Amino acid sequence: MDWASILYLGTSFGLFVIFALILLRTWRPGNRDKMEKAKFRMLDED
Amino acid sequence: MWEKKPVILLILATAAILVGTCITMVLPFVWVNTEADRITSVTPYTPLQQDGRDVYIREGCNNCHSQTVRPLVAEVLRYGDYSKSGEFVYDRPFLWGSRRTGPDLARIGGKYPDAWHYKHMADPQSMVPRSNMPDYDFLTEAEIDPEYSRKKMETLGFPFTEAQISSLEGKTEMDAMVAYLQKLGSDIPWRQSAKTEVVGELANPSPKDKAAIRAGQLLYADNCAMCHAEDLTGDIGPALDEPYLDDADLFRLIHDGIEDGGMPSFAALGSARLWQLVNFINYRKQP
Amino acid sequence: MENPTYDTTIVRSFVNWSILWGLVAILVGVLISFQMVNPDLNIAPWFTYGRLRPLHTNAGIYGWGIGSFMALYLYMVQRLCRTGLWSPTLAKVQLYLFNATIITAAVTLVLGFQTSKEYHEMEWPVDLMIVVLWVIFSVNIIMTIIKRREEQMYVSLWYMLASLVGVAILFLVNSAAVPVSLFKSYSAFAGTNDANVQWWFGHNAVAMVLTAPPLAIFYYFLPKSTGVPIYSHRLSIVAFWSLIFMYLWTGAHHLLWTPVPDWVQTLAMGFSVMLIAPSWGSVFNGYLSMNGQWHQMKENYLVKFLILGITFYGLQTLQGPLQAIRSFSAFIHYTDWVPGHVHMGTLGWVSLVIFAAIYYLYPRLCGTELHSIPLANLHFWLVLVGQLIYSVSMWIAGVLQASMWHAINPDGSLSFTFMETVVRLYPYWWIRALGGVLYLVGVLIFIYNIYKTAAKAQPQSVPATENA
Repeated sequence: MDWASILYLGTSFGLFVIFALILLRTWRPGNRDKMEKAKFRMLDED
Repeated sequence: MWEKKPVILLILATAAILVGTCITMVLPFVWVNTEADRITSVTPYTPLQQDGRDVYIREGCNNCHSQTVRPLVAEVLRYGDYSKSGEFVYDRPFLWGSRRTGPDLARIGGKYPDAWHYKHMADPQSMVPRSNMPDYDFLTEAEIDPEYSRKKMETLGFPFTEAQISSLEGKTEMDAMVAYLQKLGSDIPWRQSAKTEVVGELANPSPKDKAAIRAGQLLYADNCAMCHAEDLTGDIGPALDEPYLDDADLFRLIHDGIEDGGMPSFAALGSARLWQLVNFINYRKQP
Repeated sequence: MENPTYDTTIVRSFVNWSILWGLVAILVGVLISFQMVNPDLNIAPWFTYGRLRPLHTNAGIYGWGIGSFMALYLYMVQRLCRTGLWSPTLAKVQLYLFNATIITAAVTLVLGFQTSKEYHEMEWPVDLMIVVLWVIFSVNIIMTIIKRREEQMYVSLWYMLASLVGVAILFLVNSAAVPVSLFKSYSAFAGTNDANVQWWFGHNAVAMVLTAPPLAIFYYFLPKSTGVPIYSHRLSIVAFWSLIFMYLWTGAHHLLWTPVPDWVQTLAMGFSVMLIAPSWGSVFNGYLSMNGQWHQMKENYLVKFLILGITFYGLQTLQGPLQAIRSFSAFIHYTDWVPGHVHMGTLGWVSLVIFAAIYYLYPRLCGTELHSIPLANLHFWLVLVGQLIYSVSMWIAGVLQASMWHAINPDGSLSFTFMETVVRLYPYWWIRALGGVLYLVGVLIFIYNIYKTAAKAQPQSVPATENA
């Protein structure tokens, strides 16, 4: 495997890892209330 | 984390935006417009051609005309050889367009004689009756400013001679536009290489056939009348009302065109329709 | 928590001006749609199709689109951050500069000072004005967010921040040019590079101007209109990151089969298809927010605008990726299908969402009720039908012309001359013009309704705006 392929696969894999981390962080069960808090603010009168 | 920190969010969003940007927009500069796609026969625009190009930009011609032929069968048949990257190295900006309300112009250079363009630009409907192109007659009244042209050539870094600049004196924007159109797509010898040969014995498949003559009449109105006049008495092209070539030679001439003579090749019409045209021109008066 | 005093006058002024520029955009659009069927309507040199079409697109995208987004950002940012604007003075400067820029752009475009780059036709002095305008706007919004009194940032703020930085990057790069005179410049990039930069800009202007801001507005005004929160804030956030990451790869789908390197085209095609996911993330989020609330489609005219808006966004983001596939692009590109597609996005998605937002906030800013809800409903149906007539007629015309362009006889020759394909389009161009006129009538009713609402409010000593 040459360097270009390693770079290509590495970059692609890295991007998937980042995406997976975002998903995990967003849907971590303990995070639910914290992450959803902002939407209920929209019901306040302003 | 970034849900509460707008500055961090901004930085992360910028980073997300820059990944695709760097790979698909910045990286191609490594190969495009380098030796990798250079075509040696492609030359910069002359002062007159560049002036024409600037008029093309000013009038927004790109809103209706594209300038790239795609490598698709019908497209190459209709317009000519497909476009290559190296043909556009002197185009600032590019003018590929996105909509073909009118036909593609990437290979328009050399297709028609200058006279065709002058007449068509001034009054498109006189050449193509149901065209929806606006008149650009006013270009004949606007004169080129040679000093401004010199400045433009210097900015672009294109070579030019004093003779070229002084010859702009008295030229109009219409002259410039026609010069530009005639340059388009003609830097590579695609017409010669795309040329098809008529081989073998040519015989009119249906001489004097009434249906063929009628079909030929319609084809004539669409393709020939603009230069040879509705009644065949000639205008930009010569009169055709007196028979002057036999069927086979007439077929050959319409098929091949006359290079440098202003007569385009109509090979793309296909042999069936070319014979209909021949029948119309040679036998329309026969009972 | 006590609500602070919000700056409302500036929002009203921006709304008023954006509506005016929207009207200009539609009037010019209707005019050029008639020029397509009758070339005698071109009045050379100033009012030809080639000069008016850039005026139409720029007035629509920047006058109506950006103008409304500025109004709505200034409105939303104060409430989402529970604080007044960082600098009300800067916002006022922004309003004057915005109008000066739009007027300069309109005049110079008609005079023929244009670069030919689609959606970026303005010459370099106007570009400079836009840069200053955008910096003023961005600084004010970002500083207001920084000094906010609400800790969590709602997803609308995310989209707002991304669009501010996104537009800045796109615009600065694509503006790069060498001036020859005050009103003429040559692009810093040449040929194929210039094409690739331009469509990186062009398609991401769709992302950062016609997608992110309307999504920010949708996510704000849907819960405000229905009285229930959005379905999932987390879904909106994952969609956000995916959207702003993937969009930037897709510009070259405007350049399929051109001399742009094949691998750039292939990446653009792949990412365009992948973009369906985040786009539909937002669509589903909108639909699922309506769970148990669908009856509001009958009762609440605002919900009608918003849900139809997000529906057109959903259709747009399916049709777009379809067009980005090489084989379909070979068939459909350069035909009328594409303006049909674009107008579903602008007239359907973007404008319907803006109409809803303006209907929501205008009476509140005036301290009164909307003049007439029946008229708002009439407006809804006229613009909906007008836009559908426009898009559907153009899709049919596009398919028709594409199949004629590609038709080949048994002897290997083309079946139709170019002119034969044009002649067949005239009836569809008439239908399109009719759709445009219907849309125009709808917008006139909208303007009348807003005007009457403002007039009703005047006696109650509400501070008058500069131009209300």
